[in-house]
Amino acid sequence: MAEEDEELDLYNEMTFGLDPDSTEEDAAKIPVPPERSPELLEPEEQPQVVEGQPPTEEQGELQGEGGTEPEAEQSQDSAVLDSRIGSNWAEFGQEDMLAMDPMAWGSCPSSIPPHHMLEDKAILQVLERPPTATNMALDFLGSPVQRGYVGSPRHKRPDFRGMSPKSFPQHFLQQQPLIPCSTSSPRPFPPPRRASSFFASSQSAGYMSPGPFSPLSPNIGTPPRSLTMHFGPMSHSLDSSVFFSPSTSGQLNLSVPSHLTQLHPQHQRILTQRQQQGGTLQSVSPKKLWSPKADPCAGLMTCKEKDWVVKVEMIQLQSENLDDDYYYQTYYHRLERKQAEEELLGGRNKQEPPKLVTPFIQKVETYNSVVRIAGSLGQVAVSTCYSPRRAIDAVHHALVEEAAGSHRLRALHRIERLFLQLLEVEEMQRKMSLATEEQEHKTQEVGRIYQALNIRACSSEEEAEDEFLQVLCVRKGKKLTARLLPHLAPEQAEKILLTITHHLPFLMKKDAPDESLPLLYGPLNEVVGRMTFSRLIEVLQEMTRTLPESAELPLTMALKNQFGISLLYSLLSRGEGLLSSETPLEPHMGDFETWTDTVFLVARELSQVPKALLVEPLFLPSNLLSLFCRYLDKQTVHHLEAKMECSPLSAEAPMPC
Amino acid sequence: MNYMPGTASLIQDIDKKHLVLLRDGRTLIGFLRSIDQFANLVLHQTVERIHVGKKYGDIPRGIFVVRGENVVLLGEIDLEKESDTLLQQVSIEEILEEQRVELQAKQESEKLKVQALKERGLVVPRADTLDEY
Repeated sequence: MAEEDEELDLYNEMTFGLDPDSTEEDAAKIPVPPERSPELLEPEEQPQVVEGQPPTEEQGELQGEGGTEPEAEQSQDSAVLDSRIGSNWAEFGQEDMLAMDPMAWGSCPSSIPPHHMLEDKAILQVLERPPTATNMALDFLGSPVQRGYVGSPRHKRPDFRGMSPKSFPQHFLQQQPLIPCSTSSPRPFPPPRRASSFFASSQSAGYMSPGPFSPLSPNIGTPPRSLTMHFGPMSHSLDSSVFFSPSTSGQLNLSVPSHLTQLHPQHQRILTQRQQQGGTLQSVSPKKLWSPKADPCAGLMTCKEKDWVVKVEMIQLQSENLDDDYYYQTYYHRLERKQAEEELLGGRNKQEPPKLVTPFIQKVETYNSVVRIAGSLGQVAVSTCYSPRRAIDAVHHALVEEAAGSHRLRALHRIERLFLQLLEVEEMQRKMSLATEEQEHKTQEVGRIYQALNIRACSSEEEAEDEFLQVLCVRKGKKLTARLLPHLAPEQAEKILLTITHHLPFLMKKDAPDESLPLLYGPLNEVVGRMTFSRLIEVLQEMTRTLPESAELPLTMALKNQFGISLLYSLLSRGEGLLSSETPLEPHMGDFETWTDTVFLVARELSQVPKALLVEPLFLPSNLLSLFCRYLDKQTVHHLEAKMECSPLSAEAPMPC
Repeated sequence: MNYMPGTASLIQDIDKKHLVLLRDGRTLIGFLRSIDQFANLVLHQTVERIHVGKKYGDIPRGIFVVRGENVVLLGEIDLEKESDTLLQQVSIEEILEEQRVELQAKQESEKLKVQALKERGLVVPRADTLDEY
């Protein structure tokens, strides 16, 4: 027994830098949970539990008591309270007990379930110390440096067991928490925490709390080396010097141990201040009832531990991704801007807003947030104190089966995939400096998306099968294309325009329920605005060609569709713009004739289409009338004007002819 | 003294009396003794307070270690204002009885509701078959 004690002491010292003798100073009032009191009320013939007595007796007795206890104690008023709690604890205790091998109650060690750590610790406190609470309470006010880590168990003196059960209810009624002993000498793994008068008599104003500890912790200490308890960060697996954890030496190091960790100077200053002030770092608020001096448990969490938590929180804030804390960033930018303005206006009083500077702590290795074990179902989440957040990879890794499903499903998958790529491109764009390599990378990515869209010529029979057109039939696909257009090279963009115009009837028909084609108008308008005359003619020819399956021209159909008519007007406007401008057009053979023919065709169709079917365009270019004036007689122009007149804009357009 | 400006930390709340609301609906009142980076809490001299109507009852629970993810919210209790409340404290048995009655009434009304909906062909999925989020 003694040797094991020594082993434990040595271990504790090594781990926590504990002075074994320091534990002698710890005070403890002796708490007991209410469960015990009723139990021990009855077997008064067993006043003392002597160490070494067969624990099975008591165990059996406890189990029996636990069961019958609630009924028996209902009548007694004071005991009703206990019984309810007691029953809870009894259940709790019973489960544990049943889970444990009763034979282990003897001197042979077994592993301690972690949740019993605290209790054992408490028990040991009890065992060691007759109450000298008052002395210890004030100890908290001392410098934290002096406070070592307490915890090496003293199991030589189970004084508590000497207490008679008769005194228990008395104690309880006095509303002081009491803890019973465990049956054999427990050797728990002591956690690095403040000990001592944690269990001192509660001096709270009328705060009743019988101790919460389960009495049923017949845990036997294992040889400490076999235990892997981590009460701080996983310092064993990581370089412990990297991280400043409470489980390192008992001395509070103000000088941060490692060259890798740095505290913000303000933080450092505050730390030293706190040291000097000596632990009474409460905010100023009138709390006469519960001043820190009276609270014996104040300071359970040491400065070191608090700093550790703060440090972990700071590490969590470190991130390369600017979007991780968007609101914080924007808030601070605004604040700084406001202060800069104020500074400009109100003189040179430069108050810097207190800025959060996270300490530089080098993260160990690369952190794999998700560990994929081959053959397992799903993901194993790995989170350390460095990155406790990212437990699961939210990004979908599984490759989408494109072969499966209907056309539409495949189209939808493609859209999603391409959209993600597009978002990446835009992200790149946003963050991009003018570095040429990045530009190239971006164009590469854009090119990739364009290729994936698989835009190619297809006949009208194949329209339903064509991949690009399928993409365009979906709203999101249109959005994708619309967002992609600005990034594309002119030829690519024009190709898209050509394809859309070529298949305009099909697209318009498919868009009937959704009406999302207008999404494309803006970017296409931009494309049109940059087109050459020849290309323009090409596109217009798509609209004026006759269709095999319909008597109507695409042009006519377009007039009845908002997007169609807008696109048409846009094209015409561009043509007019080019013609009326001074720039050389470099037209191909027959371009002008085609242009004139087109204008006449448009005019004819426009006049023939009943006004009721004519749709208002998204935008009515102002130079259309002048275009018509150029080629048509006044009467026709008037007629057309009346037709097109659906917005005040056309009414205001001057009539040059 | 907050040396992490712009952030919220429980560090300042240590050793103060708090009211903690848990996800299962329990209300705990205790002194916050210790925290960690997951906002796991150690509550000392904890009391579970059950509210039914204008009455409440306290069940002393001792020390609680609460896993952070189960906390809905917590707030400091002003010890001076703690006693001016319109609520009436009753004994534990009484409040538990009240709670049981309230729960029963709720269950019955719920049953009637579900029945009425079922008659109209609307099936409301039960909460336990739904994903929590």
